Formats: sequence, C-alpha cells, structure tokens
Amino acid sequence: MTRETPKELFDKGLITEDQFQKIDLIISGKLVSVFYELRSLLYLGVMLFTTGVGILIYQNIGEFGHILSIIALAILTLVCFWYAFKHVAGYSNEALKAPTPYFDYVVLLGSLLFISVQGYLQFQFGWLNDKLGVSTLITAAFFFYIAYRFDNVGILSLAITALASFWSISVSPQKWYSGNFFEGSHLYTTAIIFGASLAVIAVVFDKRGIKKHFTFTYLNFCILIFFVGAIVGLFDEKITALYVLLIYGGCVFAYYMARYEKSFLFLLYAFISGYVATTYLVAIAMGDEIGFWFLYSIASCGGFVYFLIKYKSFFTQK
Amino acid sequence: MISSAYNQTNIYNLAVIKEAKRWFKSNFIDKDQFIAIQDAYKTPFYHPNFLIRLTLFVATLLALSGVTGFFFLIFADAGKEAISAMSVLYGVGSFVALEKLFIDSNHHYKSGVTEAVLYHACCFVIMGIAGITDFNIHVIIWTCLIVFSFSAIRYLDLLCTIVAILSLAYIIFYEFYNMGGIFQQVIPFLFIIFFTSVYFFTKRLTRKAQLKIWRNNLLIVESASLLLIYLGGNYLVVRELSVNIMNLSLEEGQDIPFAIIFYALTVIIPLIYLYVGIKKKDVVLLRVSLVLIAISVFTFKYYYNFGHPEITIIFAGIILLLVSIGLLNYLKVVRSGFTRENLLTEKWGGMNVEAFIISQTMGGNQTAAPKVHGGGGSFGGGGAAGDF
Repeated sequence: MTRETPKELFDKGLITEDQFQKIDLIISGKLVSVFYELRSLLYLGVMLFTTGVGILIYQNIGEFGHILSIIALAILTLVCFWYAFKHVAGYSNEALKAPTPYFDYVVLLGSLLFISVQGYLQFQFGWLNDKLGVSTLITAAFFFYIAYRFDNVGILSLAITALASFWSISVSPQKWYSGNFFEGSHLYTTAIIFGASLAVIAVVFDKRGIKKHFTFTYLNFCILIFFVGAIVGLFDEKITALYVLLIYGGCVFAYYMARYEKSFLFLLYAFISGYVATTYLVAIAMGDEIGFWFLYSIASCGGFVYFLIKYKSFFTQK
Repeated sequence: MISSAYNQTNIYNLAVIKEAKRWFKSNFIDKDQFIAIQDAYKTPFYHPNFLIRLTLFVATLLALSGVTGFFFLIFADAGKEAISAMSVLYGVGSFVALEKLFIDSNHHYKSGVTEAVLYHACCFVIMGIAGITDFNIHVIIWTCLIVFSFSAIRYLDLLCTIVAILSLAYIIFYEFYNMGGIFQQVIPFLFIIFFTSVYFFTKRLTRKAQLKIWRNNLLIVESASLLLIYLGGNYLVVRELSVNIMNLSLEEGQDIPFAIIFYALTVIIPLIYLYVGIKKKDVVLLRVSLVLIAISVFTFKYYYNFGHPEITIIFAGIILLLVSIGLLNYLKVVRSGFTRENLLTEKWGGMNVEAFIISQTMGGNQTAAPKVHGGGGSFGGGGAAGDF
C-alpha cells in the first residue's frame, strides 16, 4: 500500500474517477481527519472531570460551601440531560446517528455526574442507608433508560455492570486479578443465573427487533459472567458433573451466538471455557504425571491450531 | 542486506485488499468493487483477523511449551554449557521451521502461529547465547539488538521492531554509563542528537518505494524515535535517573546540572512536535505530541504539586473539554486540510470497543454491599471509588 495505490486502482478501472478523487485526497494526506484524536480528548476530559469531582465530594463531605457545589453539579447534570433531550430525535428501535459530535459525551458526562450527585444525597441524608443495594438498582434502571432513550451503547455497558453489582458480581478484570470477582461465597450460582437470564433477555429483545445493535454488548457481558461463574463453581464444588455440563451448554449457546453475531470473540470464550473444563476432567483421571501433561499440551493445543487453520474458511467468515 | 521471508507482491496485494476493505466499510466503494479488487490482487497468504491471530498465538505457545518441556526432561542433566548450546541450536531450528514449515509451505503471514514460533525462537537463541557467555550484559544487549532487528526486518514483525529500538536505546545508555565521568553527563544530549538523526533517516527511508513493505515498521521506528528524543530531554527522566542510577546526591534546594535546559526541553519539544505536526499535517507527530504534553504536565505536577490533586484533575478535565469542544466547532468546516469528520474508519474505532473501554474505566463497578468506610462505594466517579 503506497500513495500511488489509488492511482493504480483507478488506472486498472477498479474504482471510478469520482471515487479516486475522494480517496486520493485522504491517502495523499491533503485532507487529514482528527476525528479519533478529538474524541479521545473529549473522553479523557469527561473522565478526568468526573473523577476529580467524585474525589472532591468524597473528601469534603459536610463542609461549608459544599452544598453549593453539589447544587452546581446537580444543575450541570440537568443541563447535560436538557441538552440531550433537546437534540435527540424520537425513540427508535434502530441505531441513531448522534445529532451533534459531542452528543454521546454530554450524555456520558451527565450520567457520571448523576452517580456522584446521587451518591452524595444518599450519604448526606441517609437515604436508603441500610439498603445500599436499592440505590445501585436505581442507578442501573436510570442507566438502562438513558442507554435506550439516547441510543448509547457505552451507557448500556455501565447499566449492565451496575445491575451485576446489585447482585454483588463485579465485572472488572482488575478485581478478578485481586481475587475479588465475587464479594461473598457461593456467588457463582448467582453469576450463572444472572448470566443465563441476561442472555434470555438479550435474545428476546433481539428477536423483537429492539435495538439489535445492543445485542453484542449484552451477550458479551452475560457469556463472560456465566463462564467465569461456572468455572469458579467447577473448582469450588464437589458436583463436578453439573458444572462441566453447564460449561458445555454455555459453549453450545456461545457457538450459536458467535455465528449469529458473526463474532469470533464468543467462540473464543467458548474455546477457553470448554478447554478448562475438559482439562479439569482429564486432570481428575490422570493425576500429575508430568510427561503426560507435556504430551497433552502438544496434542490439545497443536490439534486446536490445526483445527482452526484447517477450517479457516469457516472461521474467517466471522 | 536482509530481505523479507515473505513474497513482496503478496504483501503488497494483501495491503491493498486491507485498505480497500476500509474504503468499503467507509462507503467509498461498493461491494462489487471491493470483490473486484480482491480478485485483482489475489494473495495466497493465511492472515486471519486479530482475535483469531491472538487465539492461535496463545495456543501455539502452549503447544510449544509442551515441546520444550519434553526436551528439558530428556536433557535436564546435560550440564549448563551443553544446555545453553542446545538452546541456541533449538532456537535456530525454530527459525528454520518457521520459514520452511509455516511461511513457505503453508503461506502463513503474521497468522499468530508465526509470531509465536518467532518469539519462541528469539528467546531461545538469546537465552542460549547469554548462558554460553555467562550472562555478560554487553553480549546480551547486543545479541538482543541483532536478533530482534533481524526478526523485524525479515518477518516484518512490529513487536520485534519496538524491542529492537529499545535495545538500541539501552545499549547507548549502558555503554556510555559504563564509561563514567563526562560520558554519563552527555547521555541526554546524545539521545537527542542520535534519535533525531534516526528520525530523519527513517523519514527518508519511508519515501523509498522499494521499502514499501516495511512501511509499518518504519512508522514504529519514527514514533519511537520521537518519544526517545523527548525522554532524553525530559526533566523527570533525567533527574530520577541521575539520582537513582548515577548516585547524584541532591541537597534540599539543589537541582541537577543544566536543570534549566531540561525544564526548557520538557516544555519545548512537545510544542515543536505539535506545531510541526499541524504545519505539515503529520498525524504521527500530532499524536505523539498529545501524549507528550500529558507527560510534561505530569512532570511539572510531580515536582510542584499544591496538595490538591483532585482540583488539578478537575481543571485538567475542564481544559480538555473546552479545548476539544472548541476544536470540534472550529473544524466544522475543513481548515488548512483538517476536518473533524470521520473519513476512514480505524481498526479499533468500533463502538463495541468504545463501550468496553467506558465500562472498564468509568464508574459502574461499585458493589452493592461494600464494607468500605463512609459508604464511598457508591461514588462511581472514576472507577477508583472502591479504593478509598
């Protein structure tokens, strides 16, 4: 690929003159798009601002002048949503094009400020003090509404994480790393049920044609939560067979969803989980004979690589 | 000169198809045209998408670890020299297997399998040579430079390119550091001069048509040089390295030698990048300058903070928001060749990726039943809320 390539394609008659003019303008560097740079700056700005506000509120709770800043934030939140409601087109089940370039970020800013204000009110006035869970549920419900109303898939992912955390499931690799995937014991049962129910909802919504472009995000979360729950259960419980069956069942579901959404990612989750479950079964049967395990890793992984490449036309469609 | 292990025409064709796919996805050309281009630029390469490559990479590494394990079981008692020598042989054997088995016969091109075998081969050659020479640092870093440069050029590997240029930077630092005295003091200036030359030299190479298949590697060298020029003159880097490695002891109120020069460089270099980037419409310079401005701000805040990081964060956020909104408005129409519109979709620009980033960096991970004191668990402000 060089700067002369568009000319070459044009000379060969593969693209029309009009197309060549447009493409060449970009490839030659005469017209430069700073779309992604500006979006990253906006995103970073929203993130820094809301983080700073969150810390500020937390550190200065109850001080003089504090009420004023909370009121200012509440007003800012309202301004964000006022802006959003003013510019948004009517609700549609289809994907909407953002009416202005900053629209999505205004909605994001408003939503994040909403959490800060809500958290403050709850703390200061002791609302729902013994039921912290309820406030998480309110956050989740509010985010779902925002996600659907303003067609924002980023807020949808926040809504799903909030809903998951209502059930005490933490959806963040950072927390899994420190071993905090589940805040209490036996929560993997919750995770499995949560993942499965969310999958049902996602599929029903998709079948009814409600925001089909949200399906990927739903499935991504629920497949991941389901598998992690089932694998933790497999290592923790005595009823191995049940969890192995659950994982294999999940694999079948992930396989069909991978085909439906044309996403290799779901298939990857299925491969990993299926491999872990199978290896666990083999480990029970074989014990720790080291030579066998070298052979096993060569045979299983080598075989897997061979399988992927052999049926490449099947996989590359996704 | 090392040539590529891959067929040049095939690489070029694949690049054309990839680019045409972007045009198709951005609605510049229609599907029939894309298929026609695919037919005109046929390539036998097996080059799947990123996720499949990642899967293949991990699976191949696991399979290779089994192979290595077997060898180790057999030769575990052979003694250190013998193992080191065999490790080099095994590494070279892996290079040969990579070329003959995967690249020549099966037309793998950066398929994940090739990367796994390549890194595997590099590691064994380097570890073997290190073992033979009794872990002499000079030998190890020069071997790294040679092996990774070879892999970068012959297999067009981008990660090897990065490691090769980092090895080069480390060699300069290490060798001059060992000479001691005045040589230690000139390291920053040496970095700036050396990598400025590398930058301009790379720029020249990029324009050569016969080097077109290495375009992405050159792009990496270009960005890395820009970064290393800056780091050579960055006050924070120079000061911390002087204090921690060169045992410079600073009393209260003292500063490193030539401090004013490094302060100036920390401010000026990102601004020069930004200015030239805008002037010449150079996206690489532009992106690097944005990152460097952030590092420069951090550098100054690191030494001159006023004890209120949250205020700094809020103001940084507000400034970023104002600047980006201002620029978005300013670029409503095309100005001096810049536009705010999305012309060609980037590989990672998809909304699902964005959604994932939002869910991981923003709040929403607050848990319902935290025992965090003060109930801070529900301030999801920055995803950091649970840590107070």
